[in-house]
Amino acid sequence: MAARQPFTDSDTADEAVRSTCDDATTCKRYATSKGYWTDPYVQYFVRSVGERKAPEINRGYYARVQGMNHLLDAFLRKTECDCQIVNLGAGLDTTFWRLKDENLMPRKYFEVDFPMIAARKIHNIKTKPPLSKPLIETHSTDSLLLDGHSLDSDRYCIIGADLRDIPGLDDKLKKFHLNPELPTLFLSECVLVYMTPDQSSKLVNWASDTFHTAMFVNYEQLNMMDRFGQVMIENLQRRQCNLAGVEVCQSLESQKERFLKTGWENADALDMMTVYSVIPQDDVARIERLEFLDEKELLQQLLQHYSICWATKDKLKLGLSQVAF
Amino acid sequence: MANDTATSASGSREKMAEGDKNAEKLKEMANNCFKEKDYDNAIKYYTEALELNPASAIYFSNRSLAYLRTECYGYALADATKCLEIDKNYIKGYYRRATSNMSLGKFKAALKDYETVVRVRPNDKDAKMKYQECNKIVKQKAFERAIASDEIKKSVVDSLDIENMMIEDEYTGPKLEEGKVTMTFMKEMMECFKDQKKLHRKCAYQILIQVKELLSKLPSLIEITLKETEKITICGDTHGQFYDLLNIFELNGLPSETNPYLFNGDFVDRGSFSLEVILTLFGFKLLLPDSFYLLREVSMLLPDSFYLLRGNHETDNMNQMYGFEGEVKAKYTTPMFTLFSEVFQWLPLAQCINGKVLVMHGGLFSEDGVMLDDLRKIDRNRQPPDSGPMCDLLWSDPQPQNGRSVSKRGVSCQFGPDVTERFLEQNNLDYIVRSHEVKAEGYEVTHSGKCITVFSAPNYCDQMANKGAYIHLRGSDLKPEFHQFTAVPHPNVKPMAYANSLMQMGMM
Repeated sequence: MAARQPFTDSDTADEAVRSTCDDATTCKRYATSKGYWTDPYVQYFVRSVGERKAPEINRGYYARVQGMNHLLDAFLRKTECDCQIVNLGAGLDTTFWRLKDENLMPRKYFEVDFPMIAARKIHNIKTKPPLSKPLIETHSTDSLLLDGHSLDSDRYCIIGADLRDIPGLDDKLKKFHLNPELPTLFLSECVLVYMTPDQSSKLVNWASDTFHTAMFVNYEQLNMMDRFGQVMIENLQRRQCNLAGVEVCQSLESQKERFLKTGWENADALDMMTVYSVIPQDDVARIERLEFLDEKELLQQLLQHYSICWATKDKLKLGLSQVAF
Repeated sequence: MANDTATSASGSREKMAEGDKNAEKLKEMANNCFKEKDYDNAIKYYTEALELNPASAIYFSNRSLAYLRTECYGYALADATKCLEIDKNYIKGYYRRATSNMSLGKFKAALKDYETVVRVRPNDKDAKMKYQECNKIVKQKAFERAIASDEIKKSVVDSLDIENMMIEDEYTGPKLEEGKVTMTFMKEMMECFKDQKKLHRKCAYQILIQVKELLSKLPSLIEITLKETEKITICGDTHGQFYDLLNIFELNGLPSETNPYLFNGDFVDRGSFSLEVILTLFGFKLLLPDSFYLLREVSMLLPDSFYLLRGNHETDNMNQMYGFEGEVKAKYTTPMFTLFSEVFQWLPLAQCINGKVLVMHGGLFSEDGVMLDDLRKIDRNRQPPDSGPMCDLLWSDPQPQNGRSVSKRGVSCQFGPDVTERFLEQNNLDYIVRSHEVKAEGYEVTHSGKCITVFSAPNYCDQMANKGAYIHLRGSDLKPEFHQFTAVPHPNVKPMAYANSLMQMGMM
């Protein structure tokens, strides 16, 4: 019987995927330090501002954050916060703290990521009062439920799990009181692209099966079949990072299709260049003054290769299909 | 320090004559006036006292203070000086003199005297405080003087001693041959760069100094004539993509007198090998110099075969943000970057070929009526201004619609086909060739063939997947012939703060 090799191909691939958490976090850290948007909490997850990032990257992350927040906040208002949020592949995201500050918290905010990432996040929260205090304030008892890979409190829950293992995921979420009756928002930012179309299909299918009133917002690559996309794929492969689900990232159509054929009633999608032009333009004008961009084409190309896609099903007839840009 | 009311220590009691007694009386009266702030009379009585006893350090010292109160600083200084001449151990004298000098703005002199007082009276808080204040002022003035001299334009060249720079024995890289660039040197240097080795800084400085000298003699508008049988290759932005530059030479041949090149700006920034690109281009510029052609009645200056025009990235602002300054500081030194900056300022701004084709990095102008003669007259040895022809040449972009618009770049303008048409007509030109914008196919023909864009950095920033292109222009017909090429691999340069952090792989 062959002994299991310590680092199989899939371990390497997963490790590469986990490292993208750092990319996102350091880019957000840098952009916030330059004033693109405010996030007083990201510094507790990565202390140093780090190396300069190119202006188009900062603007790209700005558009991403504004876009995602727009839909998220709209869902919260539509449901009057009487809902749940499940952030799939959340990484070191700081949305929970933002929602607490803005008094926009759902009934409960769930985050799921690889156990190693969950553990890292929990450790940061435990050791940094600016992170743990708000958490404790929202919790009814004096102690939070903590183990190596999970944290549970009344309003906030972090779960270490593999998104490709649906039964396991389902189990854990139910264990931490995910309520299938509540309107629920699923978020995923550059997550589905790292699993095969089949695996991501099962995941979005599970979401639609389990919840009768829900929304799924997915941010990831788009137009990947052109030369730019090919170059991105090659660049990432050099980092041992595979975009296993890149097939679904062909077009806005293919992005919507993945939801429409797994039980979601409505689906809509926009490329990030369009999102950039429909988010509040006076703030866009402000951030464009933060750093001079020498080649606008770089930003355009970048934004045209990312999209936000959102899908809804609305048994409770809350008007979720109106949540849009 | 209050005026002395005690009898002078310098005169012995035995010497006190009638005159001295009266002098003391007068001094008493003067002191009383002083207390009453009646300075004029105090001075009057001190003066009378001094007439009777001119050897009194105290009287001079007291009168000095009275003069200070009445802002007669010159007299105060004179009295203080006299006082110390009489008695160099009279501490108040130093104080008076320091105060006078301070009032006259002679801070260094004042500082010396305060130093003396502090030394002799180390526990005197007032003296210490005055000393410190004075010291601060002296330092501030020195700093201001230093800054003022920086504003006078002097070249960093003056502060370098290139001749005496030593090349260590261990250095095995290329060296100039008797201080000159040769083809052998160029080939060795390109090989050296290809292997990611560094050129010795002495050689880099030599190249820069010689290029600066050469460029400074050129006009802002270069005018060349291509004979029927001659051709020139025009390349667009290269942006530090050294391996792609080598590929251009591979595909199109090395520069030579029969294979002339024109590189249309933006040689540096973004790509991680900006230094290698610019030193190579400058090397070729030196290699292919002017030569005189005397067989005709009129001696003609044959053009060089290698031309470089300035791009918007050959400026301090861009270099600071997009990597070149960081690269030079990391691989060499800050003075070398300053020298690059000076050299960039001398790069010509436009080139006219056979009086028919005009080449510039950015594009045409924010206003109608600009003539070629205006371009010849541009005083270019500077950073580009915020507006005007020099700015437009480096920054503008064509647009499809007629007229002009505010530039998407926030600098200069966008100009339509009608603007191009008018400009060409007024200047008797056929078309313009410019760069400045990345194009998927490496080039683009717009404004009905009157505005051509050429861009020579393929897969720009390792991201865009664009082709690069260059143009062949023959003297026989001046019709542009486009050649495209794709990116070649380059070393996976270790992340360095200036270059690699700009090369992201997108958003993850």
